[in-house]
Amino acid sequence: MKKLRNNFAISSMLMVSPLAAILLIFLVMPIVLIVIVSFWRATEFSIIPAFEFDNYEFLFGSPVTYTVFFNTFKYALITWFCTLLLGFTIAFYLAFHIRTLTWQITLFLLCTIPFWTSNIIRMISWIPFLGRNGIANSTLISWGVIDEPIEWLLFSDFAVILAFVHLYTLFMVVPIFNTMMRIDKSLIEAARDAGANGAQILWNVIIPLTKPGIMIGTIFVVTLVMGDFITVRFMSGSQSANVGRLISNDIALLQYPSASATAIVLLLTVLITIGILLRFVDIRKEL
Amino acid sequence: MTKFTHRNGLSRRTLLKGAASTAVAAGATTLGAPMLWAQNIKDVTIRQFGTGVSNLNDVATKVKEDLGFTLEMTALDTDSVTQRAATQPNSFDIADIEYFIAKKVWGAGNLQAMDTSKIANYDKIAGTFRSGLLTPESTIAQGTAPHTVGFTSGQNGTDFVQEESGWMTLIPTIYNADTLGIRPDLIGRPISNWSELLNPEFKGKASILDISSIGIMDMAMVVESMGEYTYPDKGNMTKEEIDLTIGIFTEAKKNGQFRAFWKSFDESVNLMASGEVVIQSMWSPAITAVKSQGIPCVYQPLEEGYRSWGGGLGISAALSGIELEAAYEYINWYLSGWVGGYLMRQGYYSAVPETSKEFMSADEWGFWYEGKAAEGDILSPTGNKLAGAGEVRDGGSFFDRMGSVVCWNSVMDENQYMVRKWNEFIAA
Amino acid sequence: MEPRARSFYVLSTIFAFFILFLYGPTITIGILSFQGEGGGLTFPMRGVSLYWFYDLFEQQAVGDIWGSFRRSFALGLMVMVVTVVVSVMGGLAFRQKFPGSNILFYLIITSLVIPSILISLGVGLLFSQSGLNVHWSTSGFGSQLTWTLPFGLLIMFAVFNRFDKSYEEAARDLGATPWQTLRHVVLPIIAPSLIGVALFGFTLSYDEFARTLLTAGSYNTLPLEIYGMTTNVTSPVLYALGTLTTVFSLIVIGIFLFIALVMNRRRALKVSDAGKGV
Repeated sequence: MKKLRNNFAISSMLMVSPLAAILLIFLVMPIVLIVIVSFWRATEFSIIPAFEFDNYEFLFGSPVTYTVFFNTFKYALITWFCTLLLGFTIAFYLAFHIRTLTWQITLFLLCTIPFWTSNIIRMISWIPFLGRNGIANSTLISWGVIDEPIEWLLFSDFAVILAFVHLYTLFMVVPIFNTMMRIDKSLIEAARDAGANGAQILWNVIIPLTKPGIMIGTIFVVTLVMGDFITVRFMSGSQSANVGRLISNDIALLQYPSASATAIVLLLTVLITIGILLRFVDIRKEL
Repeated sequence: MTKFTHRNGLSRRTLLKGAASTAVAAGATTLGAPMLWAQNIKDVTIRQFGTGVSNLNDVATKVKEDLGFTLEMTALDTDSVTQRAATQPNSFDIADIEYFIAKKVWGAGNLQAMDTSKIANYDKIAGTFRSGLLTPESTIAQGTAPHTVGFTSGQNGTDFVQEESGWMTLIPTIYNADTLGIRPDLIGRPISNWSELLNPEFKGKASILDISSIGIMDMAMVVESMGEYTYPDKGNMTKEEIDLTIGIFTEAKKNGQFRAFWKSFDESVNLMASGEVVIQSMWSPAITAVKSQGIPCVYQPLEEGYRSWGGGLGISAALSGIELEAAYEYINWYLSGWVGGYLMRQGYYSAVPETSKEFMSADEWGFWYEGKAAEGDILSPTGNKLAGAGEVRDGGSFFDRMGSVVCWNSVMDENQYMVRKWNEFIAA
Repeated sequence: MEPRARSFYVLSTIFAFFILFLYGPTITIGILSFQGEGGGLTFPMRGVSLYWFYDLFEQQAVGDIWGSFRRSFALGLMVMVVTVVVSVMGGLAFRQKFPGSNILFYLIITSLVIPSILISLGVGLLFSQSGLNVHWSTSGFGSQLTWTLPFGLLIMFAVFNRFDKSYEEAARDLGATPWQTLRHVVLPIIAPSLIGVALFGFTLSYDEFARTLLTAGSYNTLPLEIYGMTTNVTSPVLYALGTLTTVFSLIVIGIFLFIALVMNRRRALKVSDAGKGV
């Protein structure tokens, strides 16, 4: 029996070796290297092996760091909240109100088509959409809702959150949808037979059962927002920053050691956040 | 993608073959006589990278026509260009970079110096790039002037020398004088000072570029124009001066002066064309791009003067043999006028104005270089109308504009400090 | 068929707005791609024309759209194939515990959540410090895999979690070898998910920007090329590209649906007689 189990184990390990190799070379080693480089020194154009805490000292000593990390968390939290509301509603609709599998798939695909256009092209197009003379403002003005163009539609925190919600809601919809589909329909019937109305069913039956999906969706959305730098830069008109921007600015100026130091701090922050979230769901079971 | 006109290619090649045999026989490396021009030059591929400013596909096409080898171009943004020049020496053969980038990356040793004796039109290169003086009466502007980082001690020198040593770091090809761009129709009154960028009248409608080495210079021009401070050398500020400059702008930012910042050319065009912004730092071709959409836009000459930048071609240190010869041939061809004319018709200045003149019509030369009123329509190299009859180029003639340059895009000694402060500004 | 609850209509409206929201930029791009010749990337529209669609197939002033498109496409296919293969193998492997499975699992999660810029920076540093050249087919390829593999693997884990082992047992009872079981029972059942993984892998790779930023080498992928083109004047030709891509994806999905419908109908026609032998 033990030999059989060993055989299974060995065959598993063999099957997983390409994966392990890829992760080793392209994930583990780069991270190790970043850690090492974060202790180095830099000149204008090259990096010098050393071992000093300068980069970390500067990072923790600068008020910018705290502002920027605060911004990052702020965006993550607000985006999470919006995507949760929206994503849950959409997932609920798709899981419980759409009857056939074909339609579900069709509607899903319909949702993913906009993402086949390059991200950059889509970002450029927000200006004509949200700008002073853009579609949104012009439509609102022509409907008489407002007299002057709304300034804060673009190049503001609103625009950043809007773009994030636009990009990442689907990442919330999919896991929640997944979990919802696994809910035993008889549970809902039982609740109805016991006299619960729609709202009570939602609150007492469906939401608790979809918690794992919500957790997974949260993990996706939070990490994506925390790691982003392009969206923030573009939608705020470069006026606000998050940690990703700090890192990309440093990289652009060849200051790899300070970029690495910031990157390590970001990574640790993200991992801690995920660690906390993972305590609420056993991800392996709930997939 | 390449148009191969047999007549041109053949005649030039036969001419070159003849020249090559004499050159080889005489061992001469003199003016206009290319080194090795065997049939296999067709197989040579030269990889060039740079910003979109001069990485134009039309140039590659013409290179294939005139010189026979293939030029592959890759366009990147300014910061990525710096990065690649400094860290990926094997990924390119020719680097098309600005002089301030050269100051940053020359020490990395990824570029090799060029022997000026092999450059045919060396003597016709504008004085700004050789002695630093446009005319004998000019004063040298503040900042990283190209001639201060244009020469080095030897083929593999990693230093800069201050005389014309015979070895250039970059061969200058293009430059211009930059100022603020405005929407005259939305502003409605004359603008004549850099300080107008922070004028509360334009609150929420101003912009500045988010590239630290260039933005800081624009900031300094504004601060000096406001009368807040006079810099001994804007191109090399002390920590206190940096703090002062960025502090003033941070306050303006918090007061909502800026609508957005731009990092790429095309963002600046969009901001201006859509009316989101009415006054901003801008680059010359962006002005022409906005104008060609039929939207009034002026590159405003200001009392205090212009900020200038210069760019050139550098050769990778890894290049040798026939590719190196092809590179020299390319550079000589670049300075021989066709590209110069092309760039000048977009609003830039060629480093060798004399040869470019031959590739421009008299009207174009008058408009772009001499600052005269146009006689007919002025078209861009791609056929868009840029100016009508009777219009004068913003700022006037070459000497009016380049003669009013007061500072160059720079890399200062306190660069790392400046960058950190810049990041704080952005995050504020 | 029970009648629709009122909440259905409310939710449908919300869904419709959601779709509109998602398609906002796409619609803007669509409108602006018909921009007149003299127009730019923003309103006002200067006339209406198909000019930019023609221009898409001409050489651009700066940038090489079709070259980078070919590269992106090739890279996308490579990533797609490797992702599917490695995900299936990984999914199969994780069905039982083996030494290191926990660590590997957390590595996969890390690969998913790690900010893209770290991968870009790290792989770039790795290659430059070890003296290798970055190239889109090596370093770019690997970086993109760190992004697509976790998705593929998570999908496979989900699929195998719900996989009914009794099919495999039945096959074993009938005398099939493990390889035959795999080929004739497991793979056909998970085939739809494989298509999902493939599609995911390709899409994620095709539009990937952050992880390839520093790892693509001298020749750009399409997103990088577009980004580079924005350093000089860009024109509505980008919008034309965007619109064509949308139309193209609609067609591809339409074809898939059509095939699915046809296959469903065929399967319904070939009525099986299982369970009727009473």
